[in-house]
Amino acid sequence: MSLFSLHDVRKTYRVGSVETHALRGVNLEIAQGEFTAIAGPSGSGKSTLLHLMGALDHPDGGEIRLGDERIDQLSRRDAAHMRLARLGFVFQAYNLIPVLSAVENAGFVLELRGVSKTERIERARQALDWLGMADLADRMPNQLSGGQQQRVAVARAIAGNPDIVLADEPTANLDSATGQQLIDLMRNLNEEHGVTFVFSTHDPRLLSHVRRIVRLEDGRVVNDDANAS
Amino acid sequence: MQLVISLAWRNVWRHRRRSLVTGGAVGVVVFLSVVYFSFGGAAENSLYQRLTEAAGHVQVLQDGWRDAGTFEQTLITDADAVRSTAEDLAATHFEAPLVVGVLEVPVLLSGIERSRGLALRGQDWPELAQQRSLVGGTLDGRFVSGPGELVLGASLARALDVGIGDDVYAYTPTGRGFGAAIFTLVGTVDLADGTTEGSTAWTLLEDTQILAAPGAVQRFDVHGTTLLHIADDEVSEDLASALGNALPNLEASTWLTLNPGTARLLETLDPLLFAVSIMFFILAGLLVLNTVYLSVMERIKEFGVIHALGAGDRRVLSMIATESVLMCTTGAVLGTVAGLAVVAIYADGLVIPGLVEYYAAFGMNPVFYLSIEPQQLLFAVAFAFVTAVAAALWPAWIASRLEPVEAMRFQA
Repeated sequence: MSLFSLHDVRKTYRVGSVETHALRGVNLEIAQGEFTAIAGPSGSGKSTLLHLMGALDHPDGGEIRLGDERIDQLSRRDAAHMRLARLGFVFQAYNLIPVLSAVENAGFVLELRGVSKTERIERARQALDWLGMADLADRMPNQLSGGQQQRVAVARAIAGNPDIVLADEPTANLDSATGQQLIDLMRNLNEEHGVTFVFSTHDPRLLSHVRRIVRLEDGRVVNDDANAS
Repeated sequence: MQLVISLAWRNVWRHRRRSLVTGGAVGVVVFLSVVYFSFGGAAENSLYQRLTEAAGHVQVLQDGWRDAGTFEQTLITDADAVRSTAEDLAATHFEAPLVVGVLEVPVLLSGIERSRGLALRGQDWPELAQQRSLVGGTLDGRFVSGPGELVLGASLARALDVGIGDDVYAYTPTGRGFGAAIFTLVGTVDLADGTTEGSTAWTLLEDTQILAAPGAVQRFDVHGTTLLHIADDEVSEDLASALGNALPNLEASTWLTLNPGTARLLETLDPLLFAVSIMFFILAGLLVLNTVYLSVMERIKEFGVIHALGAGDRRVLSMIATESVLMCTTGAVLGTVAGLAVVAIYADGLVIPGLVEYYAAFGMNPVFYLSIEPQQLLFAVAFAFVTAVAAALWPAWIASRLEPVEAMRFQA
């Protein structure tokens, strides 16, 4: 059974009388343990798709399921609960909390879940260790490079052991070498610890080691290559 | 939870200067409230002291004295027995009691050529009674210490054209005494209240008794000489009640009952103090609101991320309220400590030179004994807390209702 299931998902943005069809009937299945890239040029609907999968927005039509749970029509409160319990997020601009150290940022989701301090720190340090950030755990975000900050963001996403991590253009603010390192780290997490990843990118150079590539154009899936690498 | 509080504390100090100004403003308001309440308490104490110094904490009077038609009807004729009872009961209620018998006789007081009609006050004059009667005034010469001696208000002495050492004659058409007496003027008092000074004539109780009513008094003033703060005076009412029971034919009243105007003033003073203090807090609240609002606006993206990670609306709301409460509570604690330090320093008396004459003119003690009630302190701190929460509500509500995607795209 699929972990994520999207059926005929549509989303249209309206600004005044202008309508922009961001997604035009997307069908997609994501299985547990997959490492999937959503690729496509800017404006192809990658971010919209990830936002809908993350219950950060509602589709105009179609159905999205996470396991057995339909998540496309959740209330604001239930959507927040679901995200906290089941999803991990990585954003383009790192978006760490600037007054928290790396280990505190990594443990922030656990704090929101009410996990005890001891367990929180232990799990956050372990996640940082997996990302090669153990030595920098006590640094503040402004003492870290962009690549290091994004690794902390990935640690924050995986520390809560979510069903899936959704990463929206995680390498967009990084140079290509650092971006490639981050993708490699994510892939290692996928292979060694079974973390399911779906990430979006517009940079084809980052796709060389990705198993499955879903290509979006104009809000439609134009190619779904499950054996890309 | 600990991380959330730590996060809130660090966020407070992200804009150090702004938070210092805002927290400082709350601290200043709390400090001012504490000092303001303590000055209000001092004013109440001043009124209390002035009234009780002049006429005691409890008075024993003839029953129905207010409606008495004649001098005779005001007299307590078995004065010695009543004094004994009053002294016994006062000793069980007050730490350092003083019972003063008073007999005021309407007289015509004359020098060589001039005369004035007034009430000649005869009373016991132990040293404590002398001190208490002279608060805010000065004595030229000395107090009465034996029979046939008289102290006059300085302006009255001038009106009678008599000086220290001169004879002063007293005549009274009323009572059962000799009706006339010659006194020697031994001192003059300069009182702040000119009206009182112009009608002040003091002598010994036994002299007025000989003049008009042997063995009688009109009242006993019962003083608790160590009672300086109105808040500590819970015993006057009990003593009045005990005296009323022990002396069924007489009337025992507290200083508050005898001064209904003052009682009304005291009743309105506390609400007035609280109302002004609330205005202080509202002004501080606007500053806190501005600070919290700016803080939220600067962190819209951050709150978008926190929502996206799964924080509920209430959690976000409480995070911002916590920041506001921490900022205001810090200011409130510092303000309270500073305010209490001022109160502690001046609890034993503060004289403000420029105010002495004004206070004395109103018959009040020019020494401020600063004091604050626990409930007033609680009010100041609790209101700082309420201000913090109330000021944070609107910006916190804005942050709690943010749509994560829109918030993360927000450009200030």
